[in-house]
Amino acid sequence: MPEDIAEVYRSTYPALVRFLYRKVWDQGRAEDLAQEAFARALVHRPENTRGWLFVVAANMARDEARRAAREKRHLTLLKSEPDAVHSSPEEEIDAETRTRRVRAALDELTPRDREALLLWDAGMSYDEIAAQTGLARGAIGTTLARARRRLVEAYDTGLEGGQHVARG
Amino acid sequence: MSHVDEGTLHAYLDGELPSAERTALEAHLADCATCRANLTEERALRERAAALLGSARPAERPAPPLEQLRRESKRSPWHVRRSFAWAASIALALGIGYYLRNPVEEMAPANTPAPEFGLYDRQAAPSGTLPAKAPPGRRPAPPPRPPRPAAAELAQMMEKDSAATRVALRSNEALTHAGPPSAVAAAAARPRVDSPSANLPTVDGVLADRSQPALAQANARGAYNRSARELVDTAWPVINQPAARSILGAEPVGLPGLTTRKIRRSPGSDGTVVVEQALDASTVIQIFQRAASAGSLSDSTSYGFTGGFERARANRLARFVGRLRVEITGPLSADSLNRLLEQVAPLP
Repeated sequence: MPEDIAEVYRSTYPALVRFLYRKVWDQGRAEDLAQEAFARALVHRPENTRGWLFVVAANMARDEARRAAREKRHLTLLKSEPDAVHSSPEEEIDAETRTRRVRAALDELTPRDREALLLWDAGMSYDEIAAQTGLARGAIGTTLARARRRLVEAYDTGLEGGQHVARG
Repeated sequence: MSHVDEGTLHAYLDGELPSAERTALEAHLADCATCRANLTEERALRERAAALLGSARPAERPAPPLEQLRRESKRSPWHVRRSFAWAASIALALGIGYYLRNPVEEMAPANTPAPEFGLYDRQAAPSGTLPAKAPPGRRPAPPPRPPRPAAAELAQMMEKDSAATRVALRSNEALTHAGPPSAVAAAAARPRVDSPSANLPTVDGVLADRSQPALAQANARGAYNRSARELVDTAWPVINQPAARSILGAEPVGLPGLTTRKIRRSPGSDGTVVVEQALDASTVIQIFQRAASAGSLSDSTSYGFTGGFERARANRLARFVGRLRVEITGPLSADSLNRLLEQVAPLP
């Protein structure tokens, strides 16, 4: 039903954009892909729209990443990446820097742990994450525990590695 | 009970522990200081991880205003894609379902005209009756078609094209191999009606090849993009913008912000110009255009310009921009092309 998709669109769109953003790291692309996923959902009318959307989105993001890897040089020209981590206290780090650090920390996770974490953060239940990742439901807690620990550790390590930053 | 492992603690904190286990866990926590301490630690970890992720979230924003998109799109093709996103959000907001509700009226003429050839043929309509001179605004009555198959056909087409978009974003070349053959093959298998096209203004260089079996076969193999592109590449002379302007009697149109690779004119005398623009390194779109008065095509028919082999691919869409009739083609979904088509404007 279109109304159902409209409802899912309303309720899930921000989460789907967020999920995609942590994969493609470009807001415009994330929105673009999220909307593409919804456009496809309108055609496919999947039974479980939400789960389906995330599967499709994950696939699109993967394709996107492959393409981006190929065009990396080009993108590097377009988006001049600020280089070094700077030394202000964590509270004052600008959003862009923090995003870059979180991105680097997420990169330290195994793909499966990262996927589980991002799906959880997008509002998926353990059941949904299990269905999506193929993990046993009973393993989701352990996976998320490991993912969270790794994320925090990698983030903090990144801070220490960049500069001698006093963390509160 | 031994100490609780961290996975269980996280499941508990996430509110995902089945109730029996939760009850048991809470009973254990009441007695076990170690596990309470662990729980506190895991809770802090969980919150910190959530905060970190939360700090790397995109701004939640509605569809950006058109003007801003136009400005952004001037910077690079990368940003142009945002305008598709914007267009998609509008389409969704307004009910993209119109594609599905009204496929015959709205989409079929532009997107899936091939079946009409078949229908005309089957109904043995006099071939000269195709409305080459149909008054503007009046559509030729669409042949009665049950809406359900049409919708299904469209859905199938969009589904395939969605996949094609993904491929196209990566590689133009790949599409020619990945091209889903069914619609193309079906169209190729349909009986051809040659006489209607004879009455229609056409792009000679392209349409002439429609009757060539070799091309039809290439088409059936899903080689649409390559053959169409190469045909234009070889047969259509490259011209410059002033020349295009004088042919068209108006400034040629294209997508603002995209690099124009080449402008060509039809090898025939029909006054058609094609603007080729690069969406990205591997994706080229072609914007066919002609003075509307030169074509005397009715609004809703997409006969002309090119032969059935391209339309069989169902990604050729048309609209009027000022005095020009404009069609667009490229290795993108019909949906994307449609959105692009909405944005064409006179070249600067």
